[in-house]
Amino acid sequence: MTVESPAGAVPTLRVAIPFTFYRFVVIAVTAAVVLAPLSLVFYQSFLDAPFFQPAARLSLYAYRFVFADEDFWVAFGTTLLLASGMTLIAVPLGAGLAFLMVRTDVPGRNWLEPIILIPIFVSAVVLAFGYVVALGPVGILTTSMRELIGVAPWNLYSFPFLVAIAGLTHVPHVYLYAAAALRGLGSDVEEAARTAGAKPWRVALDVSLPMVLPAILFAAVLVFFLGFELFGLPLVLGDPQGVLVLSTYLFKLTNKLGVPSYQLMAVVVVAIVAITAPLVFVQRLLLREAQRYVSVRGKGVRLAALRLGAWRWAAFAAIALWFVFSVVLPLAGITLRSFVETWGEGIALSEVLTLDHYRELLDYPNVVRSMINTLGIGVIGGAAAVVFYTAIALAVHRWPSQWTRIIDYLVMLPRAMPGLVAGLALLWVFLFFKPITPLRQTLVSVWLAYTVVWLAYGMRLVSGTLLQVAPELEEAGRTTGASETRVKFDVTLPLIRAGMLASWLLIFLIFVREYSTGIYLLGPGTEVIGSLVISLWGTGAIDLVSALSVVNVGMIGIGLLIAIRLGVRLHG
Amino acid sequence: MLRVCSITLVAMITSAASAWAQGAGDANLAEAAKKEGRVVVYSTTDAASANPLLKDFAALYPGITVDYTDMNSTEVYSRFIAEVAAGTGTADVVWSAAMDLQLKLAADGNAAIYASSEIPSLPKWAVWENKAYGTTYEPITFVYNKRLVPPSDVPQDHAALLTLLTTKPDAYRGKITAYDPEKSVGYLFDNEDIKYFPQAWDLFRAFGKVGARLYPAAGIMMERVTSGEHTIAYGVFGSYALARSKKVPNLGIIMPKDYTLVMSRVAFVSAKAKNPNAARLFLDYLLSKRGQNVIANAADLYSLRDDVTGEATVAGVRALIGDKARPVAIDRELLANLDASKRLEFIKKWQAAMKGQ
Amino acid sequence: MVELAVTDLALRYGESEILKGVSVTLPAGKVVALLGPSVSGKTTLLRAVAGLETPYRGSIRIGDNVMFDAARKIELPAEARGLGLVFQSYALWPHRTVFENVAYGLKLRRVSAPDIKSRVERTLGQIGLAHLSDRYPHQLSGGQQQRVALARALIYEPAVILLDEPLSNLDAKLREEARAWLRALIVSLKLSALLVTHDQIEAMAIADHITLLNGGLIEQQGTPIDLYREPATLFAAEFMGNNNRLEGTLVENPDNKAVIEVMGDRLQGIARTSAPAGSKGTGIIRLEKVVLGGGPGPNRILMTLKTQMYIGERWELLFTKGELSVRAYTSALLKHERYHVEFPPQALWIF
Repeated sequence: MTVESPAGAVPTLRVAIPFTFYRFVVIAVTAAVVLAPLSLVFYQSFLDAPFFQPAARLSLYAYRFVFADEDFWVAFGTTLLLASGMTLIAVPLGAGLAFLMVRTDVPGRNWLEPIILIPIFVSAVVLAFGYVVALGPVGILTTSMRELIGVAPWNLYSFPFLVAIAGLTHVPHVYLYAAAALRGLGSDVEEAARTAGAKPWRVALDVSLPMVLPAILFAAVLVFFLGFELFGLPLVLGDPQGVLVLSTYLFKLTNKLGVPSYQLMAVVVVAIVAITAPLVFVQRLLLREAQRYVSVRGKGVRLAALRLGAWRWAAFAAIALWFVFSVVLPLAGITLRSFVETWGEGIALSEVLTLDHYRELLDYPNVVRSMINTLGIGVIGGAAAVVFYTAIALAVHRWPSQWTRIIDYLVMLPRAMPGLVAGLALLWVFLFFKPITPLRQTLVSVWLAYTVVWLAYGMRLVSGTLLQVAPELEEAGRTTGASETRVKFDVTLPLIRAGMLASWLLIFLIFVREYSTGIYLLGPGTEVIGSLVISLWGTGAIDLVSALSVVNVGMIGIGLLIAIRLGVRLHG
Repeated sequence: MLRVCSITLVAMITSAASAWAQGAGDANLAEAAKKEGRVVVYSTTDAASANPLLKDFAALYPGITVDYTDMNSTEVYSRFIAEVAAGTGTADVVWSAAMDLQLKLAADGNAAIYASSEIPSLPKWAVWENKAYGTTYEPITFVYNKRLVPPSDVPQDHAALLTLLTTKPDAYRGKITAYDPEKSVGYLFDNEDIKYFPQAWDLFRAFGKVGARLYPAAGIMMERVTSGEHTIAYGVFGSYALARSKKVPNLGIIMPKDYTLVMSRVAFVSAKAKNPNAARLFLDYLLSKRGQNVIANAADLYSLRDDVTGEATVAGVRALIGDKARPVAIDRELLANLDASKRLEFIKKWQAAMKGQ
Repeated sequence: MVELAVTDLALRYGESEILKGVSVTLPAGKVVALLGPSVSGKTTLLRAVAGLETPYRGSIRIGDNVMFDAARKIELPAEARGLGLVFQSYALWPHRTVFENVAYGLKLRRVSAPDIKSRVERTLGQIGLAHLSDRYPHQLSGGQQQRVALARALIYEPAVILLDEPLSNLDAKLREEARAWLRALIVSLKLSALLVTHDQIEAMAIADHITLLNGGLIEQQGTPIDLYREPATLFAAEFMGNNNRLEGTLVENPDNKAVIEVMGDRLQGIARTSAPAGSKGTGIIRLEKVVLGGGPGPNRILMTLKTQMYIGERWELLFTKGELSVRAYTSALLKHERYHVEFPPQALWIF
């Protein structure tokens, strides 16, 4: 297309890709990748047999069955309670923690941050089991407490405990968002309150908190979401007492009728999606609010840390308490379990210490290979995932169009599928969508599964970073003659490099601890630690599970430290 | 004359057909299998237990790689049927402990007809129409914590367990654990119990009255028993229990003396196998004396052949409970366990029993 | 009575010394401007008075109360100083209405709700924004936001009001109106104000006294007229007003009547330096003092007219001679090419 450019204009490449074209390609690809598994599930819910069997007929039987099943409604209600409770715990604690770390002079705030993120990279099943060892009916602490004061006044398997643990272990998720928002606040609005006469705490309550509230509420919705997806925790801690949530109900439903009944599972997924959609709507509203509060004009004055005075050490103690309960206890439980032959009532721990499990682990087939695969998926797969998420985030970044709404919904949907179903649905996609079938038995399929399922989480990380790029910087690029595409590559991308690195680190953590999503796609040669854990768990080799988990956590911890040493900052 | 001829003709054709279906001599089978070079196995037997078998098979047939993937029974089933429907590569051998699901797969035409050369050495109940084969002989046992259950309480049979729970409910409140029939192989076992134990439902009600905890897998049941959180587990695979007890001395195992259910992991060769000869070879190996020897003495499973010696064998079981073993027959009756309405009825009754009703 | 007394304040950020010993007094009821270029330390000084920065030496007293004294280790936190601070960015709380923004200070002081209402309404009326009390900041124009920020700082009648570049975010037209209005408001409310600005016209227009800061030290202090007509240093001279700079060599320097030679011409002016003859000298003369229209004579340089720019009822002219360029004003368009540009000796400072 030849267009007369005014004199002085940069001659435009004839083959330049207009950015709008790129945007629509991104939407199409994202839609395909998200809707493929979901539409299969949706379709399945209306059949009376697996969709790939010729005898399958359209039927509402599955819906009738599930909605008539009392267990479904009980599970639904319990899940709502769990998700709400966990949000109510995680949000204030996460926001408070962020405030302490970002705005005050609480001791240790320079090295605490990576430690706060530990719960994110320990798999839920492992965490839950650690609690059983530590606080279960015959747990180490429980028996010690009973010896000390005669009674251990808690029941690990109770619903309140489950809610508490779920909430406490999701504090880091809220922390990440709240901390980023607090860092983005201009200091002048807080100083204005102080000069008007407000003590630092008043300032926090009257100014800082309301201004980061939209970001916090956004995180709250995300945590609520994750509550629907929780599986490992309720499985280990809820099942014994018959506490049923939607994901464990799904698990039960799988075999209720004898032969795995996908249509029933599909109905549950459809129900979860039905709840998900309005949540996304709410989230969009909140995000718009949040953007209004971003200080575009605040001077780059250094944020003076609020002095806590006498409360410094009390605050530190509070953080330490959270850390002990949410991280140290379960990890200690698991570590202990990996070093003892047996444990529990009547066992003197010192008599049963052993390194045998680690030795056995080395002998276990494919352990080393699974570790390498896991690392590979985490590092390389994580990087590839971040590229993918960035591509999507760039497409919708500063695009004043209704199409961005579609991306917002699309992006959230995969997380509505609990891991059990997601894995199965993705298997079906790979099996029945011929062009990608050859990829099925490679790690690429596992990577794709993980990337799709964590789409919402990853994209939000990158979007947050993009928002911090001042519009003028991109506009300056445009006025010198760069097309929108070039601006994104030459200006925007380099500016968010640090943010992308941080996202890579977080995605690495998440991919490495994944366990249920890839289960149908794994095979000899592509096994990962998560699936190994589940397989071992099934046979009761809990000791090996513990040893493997300790190794896993150690690996991740080292990875985290390396990344931070290399300068990856977890905040933009 | 014509009748005799026709009968003879039919006999000839039949025997020829069966000879054809049979492994046409083991040597030829091994040759053909080596040409294929690999066999894909989907199995619910965990990799650690299967490892000795795989190593031995590799030693025996060096040219054949075994692609062994272990998953749970639902995953094996789901993955297999999806792959078969999609016509892509799938397992050559499917080996699962979910006996009912395996039989369904075999009955639905997914199993190749193959008369293994080992059939003469196998018990009758373990072979179904030359399609599906039992490969192990695992007793379903009671497992208990030796430190916490006084020897006088240890139930030696089902009736004793029932008596124990009804006479000492407080001592065992929250201490009993069993399979959750809604989620696991427990359904099958409970239905077999009903066949052999007239007071089965009383027993289940007794479970309910003492607040028994139900789990989907044996592993976690045993872990909770060894830690003392529970003291008696009902219906644990003897193979797992034996393996565990070697490491954990305070784990006691009882094979109930009135009757002991015996389950068997079922294997079949896939009709759509890409490596049919290697698959047959592998199956033969599993059923052979050498393979069964490994199963009994290295793989922590139980062997079903009479000519294998060791603790984890038919003979070993007989030594403990005489003729009270009740193997679950691999036949169409298993399919009754997959009947949806029967299942729902049972579950309803079970849930009531769990409330003590 | 001195309302605010800052004595020998020194402050550093890490390695760099921002304030190197500054003393400023603000008499009651007066406006003092802290004037200077970007890194002069003026904003830091203001923030130190407010309690948002901590000096390491010196003292700050308001009325009879000591706010800060390094030697005696006294430091009142910002919220206890009872000052009003208007931020350059206005720093209005976006999640609160205009009313709530202004009322905040009273709420903190536990004034009763009806009192708050009446006082806020009165204050908003004083600044002409009563009709906007329910709006949110993002719904207001820049000028309106600035007035709300001012109202918020005034509402609790602080002893001293601090203003950080209050007019710099307004566009030029608004700025001129605003500075008149601001001064009038401050005077009518009898406030004591400390104002930071980089704009010398703003400082001269609003303030009673100006403290000119340069590199963390006080360059000169005085009334606007003092600073404008009697600059003590080259920096001060150049900072105020629009100037011409004539670089040359000192020829002779008898008391107060220095002569410099600029490109061959000798110019006599007021000596502001005691350097000996032969050293470098710089002549500074305000644009409006440059005279045109005469023929050759003393204190004149023949220059070529390069440009005439109409700036509204006046022309600003640019003359050059070689490297030297001089600007001047005239009220009528000039026709010729070369002019004798005169630098009256009583208007030329030589540094």
